[in-house]
Amino acid sequence: MIRPAVRFGMALFVVGFLWSSTRAAPPLSERIDALVMAKANGRAASPLADDAEFLRRAYLDLAGVIPSVQEARAFLDDTDPGKRAKMIDKLLSGPDYPRRMAEFFHVMLMERRGDHAQWQEYLHSSFAQNKPWDQMAREILCGFSDSKETRGAPFFYSKRLERYGQNPADYPGLTRDVGRMFLGIDLQCAQCHNHVHIKDYKQADYQGLFAFFTNVYLNDPKMPSIGERPFTKKVEFVSVFGFTKKQTGPRVPGMKEIEVPNYKQGEEYARKPDNKKKDPGRLKFSPLSKLAEQVPQSDAFARNAVNRLWFLMMGRGIVHPLDLHHSKNPPSHPELLDLLAKEFVAHKYDIKWLLGEIARSQTYQRSSMLPENQKVFQPESFLTAHEKLIGAEQLMWSVLQATGELERTRQFAAGIDSLRSLFVKAFANPPKEPEIEFNPSLKGALFILNNNAVQQLLVPRPGNLVDRLSKLPDDKVAEELYLSVLTRLPTADEKSEVEDYLAQKTDRVKALQQLAWALLASTEFCVNH
Amino acid sequence: MKLCKPWEHNLSRRQWLGSVAAGLGGLSFGNLLQPAVADQLKKKNKQVLFIWLDGGISQLESWDPKPGTQFGGPLRAIPTSVPGIHISEVLPKTARQMHHLALVRSLCTKDNSHSAGVARIQRGDPKNRGVTYPFFGSAVAKLLGPGDSGLPPYIWIKPGSGGFKHQDAGFLGPKYGCLAFGDGKPPENLVLPNSISEEDNQARLLLRKKLDQRYAARRPKRSVEATGFVFDMAEQLRKRLDLFDLNKLPEKDRERYGNHDFGRHMLLARRFLEAGVTFVKVNSYGWDTHGDNFNAHMNMVPKFDQAFAAMIEDLVARGMLDNVLVICMSEFGRTPRINGHVGRDHWPEAWSLVMAGCGAKRGVVVGKTNDKGTFVTTEEYDIGHMFHTWFTLLGIDPNKTEYDNDGQPLPIAHPDCHVVKELIA
Repeated sequence: MIRPAVRFGMALFVVGFLWSSTRAAPPLSERIDALVMAKANGRAASPLADDAEFLRRAYLDLAGVIPSVQEARAFLDDTDPGKRAKMIDKLLSGPDYPRRMAEFFHVMLMERRGDHAQWQEYLHSSFAQNKPWDQMAREILCGFSDSKETRGAPFFYSKRLERYGQNPADYPGLTRDVGRMFLGIDLQCAQCHNHVHIKDYKQADYQGLFAFFTNVYLNDPKMPSIGERPFTKKVEFVSVFGFTKKQTGPRVPGMKEIEVPNYKQGEEYARKPDNKKKDPGRLKFSPLSKLAEQVPQSDAFARNAVNRLWFLMMGRGIVHPLDLHHSKNPPSHPELLDLLAKEFVAHKYDIKWLLGEIARSQTYQRSSMLPENQKVFQPESFLTAHEKLIGAEQLMWSVLQATGELERTRQFAAGIDSLRSLFVKAFANPPKEPEIEFNPSLKGALFILNNNAVQQLLVPRPGNLVDRLSKLPDDKVAEELYLSVLTRLPTADEKSEVEDYLAQKTDRVKALQQLAWALLASTEFCVNH
Repeated sequence: MKLCKPWEHNLSRRQWLGSVAAGLGGLSFGNLLQPAVADQLKKKNKQVLFIWLDGGISQLESWDPKPGTQFGGPLRAIPTSVPGIHISEVLPKTARQMHHLALVRSLCTKDNSHSAGVARIQRGDPKNRGVTYPFFGSAVAKLLGPGDSGLPPYIWIKPGSGGFKHQDAGFLGPKYGCLAFGDGKPPENLVLPNSISEEDNQARLLLRKKLDQRYAARRPKRSVEATGFVFDMAEQLRKRLDLFDLNKLPEKDRERYGNHDFGRHMLLARRFLEAGVTFVKVNSYGWDTHGDNFNAHMNMVPKFDQAFAAMIEDLVARGMLDNVLVICMSEFGRTPRINGHVGRDHWPEAWSLVMAGCGAKRGVVVGKTNDKGTFVTTEEYDIGHMFHTWFTLLGIDPNKTEYDNDGQPLPIAHPDCHVVKELIA
């Protein structure tokens, strides 16, 4: 008989052997699941989503649109046990991925301040080539572009440097946004004094970051382009609670103040500005170039990035709110955040890789239905899928897909543009408000209820949804309808509800339009569950 | 434009409650500790008109003039319909309504910044208990319920943009937020398309509702409730589209209120009050006169005067002033000291408001400032005192009524303040 201690030793040996023989840690997706379950504290997790729920979610997250009825049918019929992983790969390498990422990052970085064709092109091409996030951050933060490919990048600054009416350009707002979006810290309330409630946020951090922007100006909003004037004076500040005058040069929070070299007047420029050509010139010492170089080196940079990408997929940050990383607002899963950040850096800030790993995890693939006998939803546990916000753009593409009008509308760029502006007006938040949670609005409801553009999509045209339904017998309508709009098969009750409805109504096309409209206006369609 | 039919307006409160209840558990009295009291309140049909002069009207150029003193400025004071009470000469029409009004000249509040001050005043500056208190409008919506209008209980008419502002409601939850009509206009897409009949519309809405019920069976209820709430509100609003058409009113009314935004918005407010909306807020912007204070007030106060006096006159003529509490105020007053830009800055130390109706004493002045207008010489009243007084006038005992915030009892007004008895008839 083998003594227990020996048995334990053998077990360790076997585990160790297996570990070293594969010579690799388990994939990140599995380590995500282990760390999430380790924090479950005995609470049950929701079961995995069924194929239909998974497919709709993966499409919305990675392609920004629901699948077509053909794609949905093919996926549900597919018996390959590896079909989910294959679908994730297909979506990540598909043509909609860069568009979806451009839309998501545009909304996140610009918060509906406005748009610019060059900026869109920049985002789109960056995601199409899966540019590493640190490189994108450097291109955006340096505020300067000398290649056609990055020409739109300065829009992040230029739009924020525009003046609205009599108001001066909002430099404090710009400072705040760079902190929020690239480092996950909202320093707004540390502008005039150390943050009253958040010990980690110091006035000196705000002022140091602010110092990078004091000499920045809007050169040409059309280009878009900004310029920098020579840095001659440190920022002076006094806390409103004190009297001691302090000063700081440019400094990224958590890092060292940057030495500003002294150039004689007239010798500051490597290339002098040329007003006629609208060329802002190049300084020998540019604080923005330093900012672009240093921000990605900060520990906060990778942690903020993975937290925001986690939010993209999961509907909530591991640190939440997304821009309040500090010691009193700890991550819900600290080891997970550390792991994601470490692996993201090790994989050279590869966004597509990280999204794929998250998508393959069970944590991502859980149902949005609560486990049996559970009433309370615990958002920070990640044991049940969140009902995520569907952005205005995702909703537009999905409404077009559902109604079978996507291809027809896509043939006319002007058609998409005008429809997009209608959807953005009805469903986007006002400028400067982040879009984080599903928050249905009165104007959105009124748009779906009464706007003519929505009604037009339900007019039968060859091959569109209502046309297809009108050619089916009553008992086949429900399946085509539910699969097209909600990406799932109807239940038996739903099937008979549709049949009964059609039997009651004399005008069949009208009845089909009402059925289709009800699905489009339902919560199930309007959230990413 | 397809307008709705008159019979569709006969929408009782029961229907409104019923339809919202389906989605939201109703604008019920669920989180009040004394449901019986609340039931009585509902029957009284009390209403509030809350006029907000954003930025801070100068008390010295309105309700508490100090002509001929160091900081008095160039404007004179005029007598009013109440012997002994004088107000600024830029308020001639309101002066003739003084016997219906009560002035409070002894406000002393704590915040002199706009960004914090507006919310602080409208939330009643409650004791910090780690929760966000509701704005006065949300509080009244909660405590009095929605009235008979078939419209949401808390409506805001304002220049600029509109929409539903759930933030006002604080811990009461988004359904007690405020529905804002930007530029006094109804929101876009309020009219049914010609292709959809009323019957079709009801049929499709019922289908939608059933789908949502099925979807929510095993999920957190929040999303479905929130969606149901906005769809119901859209329907309620569509049925009262007629209210927005001021052209149906006599030309004379429109002239009396004034051919300017504030006049039109006040006239619209009268319509909403007549329709039975519980709380109507009207905003006027641009009162932050750090520069050129006197020209600004000579330009703006007369417009206010015209519409405000017309409103009081009409509420009296209709017998409504017995049930409608009218309040007009800002986030603070303005400094007696006149700055280098001939302006006045922020001054929460000693300022004024005007109120009327719903059992408030008529034709009185409460409180007094010193000769220069710099400080209050009688008992100082904070916004908490006003909340106590207003709730009392609305028939809600501020010392007995509490909110129930998920088991946490919360007073509806600051417990260190009290009712101003001199304001109650």
